[in-house]
Amino acid sequence: MILEARDVSYRYKSQKDRPVLEHMDAAFSCGKLYAVLGPSGSGKTTFLSLLAGLDVPTEGEILYDGEPVMAKGLREHRKRHISLVFQSYNLIDYLTVTENVRLGGKKEPGKLLEGIGIGPEFWKRNVLQLSGGQQQRVAIARALASEAKVLLADEPTGNLDEATAFEVTAILKQIAHEEGKCVIVVTHSRELAGEADEIIRIGPAPLS
Amino acid sequence: MLNSVQRAWRSVVRKPVKSLLLFLTAAVISLFLLSGMAAGQANVLSQDTARQAVGAGFRLDNNEKNRSRRYSEISERIGADTEGSLEGVHQKKMETAYGTQWIGWADNSFETLKLPDIEALAAVEGISDYNITTCVTTVRPVGFKRIEDPDLDQHQDLGCVTLLGNRKMEFDSNVLSGNVTLKEGRMTGPEDRDVCVISEELAAENGLALGDELSFGDRHDESGSAVQRAEIIGIYRTKQPMAAYMSGDTFRSENVIFTDLRFPEKAEGAEGDPCFEHAYFQVADVDRYEEVRAAMEQVEIDWERYDFIDRNGDLSTMSSNFNDLEKISGLFVAVTLLAGFLILSLIFLFWIRNRSRESGILLSLGVGKGSILGQLFLEAVLISSLAFLLSLPAAPGVSKLAADYLVAGQQKQAELQKAADADKVADGGRTESEQTVTGVKIAITGEMAGICGAGILLLTGGSVGVAGLFLLRKKPARILSELS
Ligand SMILES: Nc1ncnc2c1ncn2[C@@H]1O[C@H](COP(=O)(O)OP(=O)(O)OP(=O)(O)O)[C@@H](O)[C@H]1O
Ligand SMILES: [Mg+2]
Repeated sequence: MILEARDVSYRYKSQKDRPVLEHMDAAFSCGKLYAVLGPSGSGKTTFLSLLAGLDVPTEGEILYDGEPVMAKGLREHRKRHISLVFQSYNLIDYLTVTENVRLGGKKEPGKLLEGIGIGPEFWKRNVLQLSGGQQQRVAIARALASEAKVLLADEPTGNLDEATAFEVTAILKQIAHEEGKCVIVVTHSRELAGEADEIIRIGPAPLS
Repeated sequence: MLNSVQRAWRSVVRKPVKSLLLFLTAAVISLFLLSGMAAGQANVLSQDTARQAVGAGFRLDNNEKNRSRRYSEISERIGADTEGSLEGVHQKKMETAYGTQWIGWADNSFETLKLPDIEALAAVEGISDYNITTCVTTVRPVGFKRIEDPDLDQHQDLGCVTLLGNRKMEFDSNVLSGNVTLKEGRMTGPEDRDVCVISEELAAENGLALGDELSFGDRHDESGSAVQRAEIIGIYRTKQPMAAYMSGDTFRSENVIFTDLRFPEKAEGAEGDPCFEHAYFQVADVDRYEEVRAAMEQVEIDWERYDFIDRNGDLSTMSSNFNDLEKISGLFVAVTLLAGFLILSLIFLFWIRNRSRESGILLSLGVGKGSILGQLFLEAVLISSLAFLLSLPAAPGVSKLAADYLVAGQQKQAELQKAADADKVADGGRTESEQTVTGVKIAITGEMAGICGAGILLLTGGSVGVAGLFLLRKKPARILSELS
């Protein structure tokens, strides 16, 4: 077990009476692909934010390697343990493909890019000249450039067509199984969920 | 991992369009700052035909604005409602029938042109000779009668005659202009002591001849015992009456008595404390007139005190003496700094808003807020330094425009003031000379450029800091919802 949510509850400050998450428990291990499912507004993104150390739970705690992430600080957690892939526009537009990957960590960008099917002809390109699927792959390559063992992705295939979404899903699965990373993906995609080793369901938001 | 310097460089070079607004703003601020500073130290060229130097020479007068500023500064140092004397300025309490009154006055040591300054200018190569003319000095005639207008009410008059001392009378402006000529005898020179040259009317009225002595009394001395005597060495005549310094028979042309340089101070009971009003420098070779002017302007004296006037009546007034030009340009600089700060802060706020996705990505990668702010600051410094450097070649032209504009505004203001004052009673009947502004001489010095560069840097730093406060408030918690 690498990452664990223990009895986590979360309320936005502006809506104190309506918790987004209530007493959630979840545990994640390396080498597995997890899919987080739930209706819109149920708190999936919020949950991912807590796992990523972008925010702290109102109650309960997040543990990394058995240790509360608050102990070493959230920024340290973000920098060393977690890599993130967003739904879209993951890349910084004044940096080349290679430079964007290099932002993620010390690993050689060329190999990572080749590994996910971005050939050298794209490396020096402005990232805005890449297709959406290519951009997502570069974002994944960036996530892989770090030593972080956990990869979090919020609807990484949400903006892609079916074929491309399938390719990206395959890459994520490969990262979990072949590189031994812990990959946690929030998704609405049935295909992606079908590929996952485990599924975490977040209940519908209690209506006020 | 790219550090903030590498990111900043790439951001500026690869996305130059977003930097355009900042570039233009910084360039404008830089130009305004330089213009304001240059205008504050400009020389306003003006013409004063009433005061031109006669012949191939230069004339040095006290600058009236500078004089009154020095006066009020010293008076302030003495203190309001305090009796005392400082650097030739005196303040005294007087009990009068109307209650307590404060009077203030300046003595010769305050009013005089500085002799070392005159001598420094006279030593410039190309100056063949020089003259000093004293202030108009009023003394009581003792044992002789002055010329009076029988129709005039003499109650308002001092009952005095006017002494005008010269180092070399042949260079007195009245003589140089050809209005005053010798009828008999000779003119005064540097070696003379206790001599005078009187008008033919005065000589006729009193039956005076060369070799006779005239006596003068200090008009402040009520006992009448302090009397100084001067030998008549010449008698002059005028083509036209000399322009009166003030109204009244004391100052009428026939009652003007030319003396040697140091006699007037003695006659008014202030020996050793002369009052020099004008200096005149004769240029040896007329063809080298401009060359000599340049050499004289290089002499290191406190030019702010003086008007340096050429044969055309052209003179340059330092901005500190030109109406409120120095203050106005100071204000201009201050307003530019303030407005610049506000505008730059807004620009950086705009930047930060527009780049919230980018900073979100960086934050999620564990990049610190300090590093992100540092990158922003570096980008801003890169762009505004470039703007500053590129504004330098344009600065002289723009400064000239700005200075012309400010001077014209000040000129207009002064004219309005004068029109408003015209109704009021004239100041002691004394007429102020008329100056027409003919141009502005302006220079951007290395010092100004340095101050401006530092100013731009500070402005940029400050406004990035202000905008950065908003970045620092940004919560990482929002990033994921913002980016998804
Ligand atoms: N900053 C916020 N302040 C207050 N409430 C918020 C804030 N952000 C989200 N919420 C609320 O919290 C709940 C969960 O939001 P969240 O974004 O986690 O949902 P989600 O499951 O990711 O939805 P989706 O599938 O549409 O992305 C929603 O009801 C949302 O309205
Ligand atoms: Mg969401």
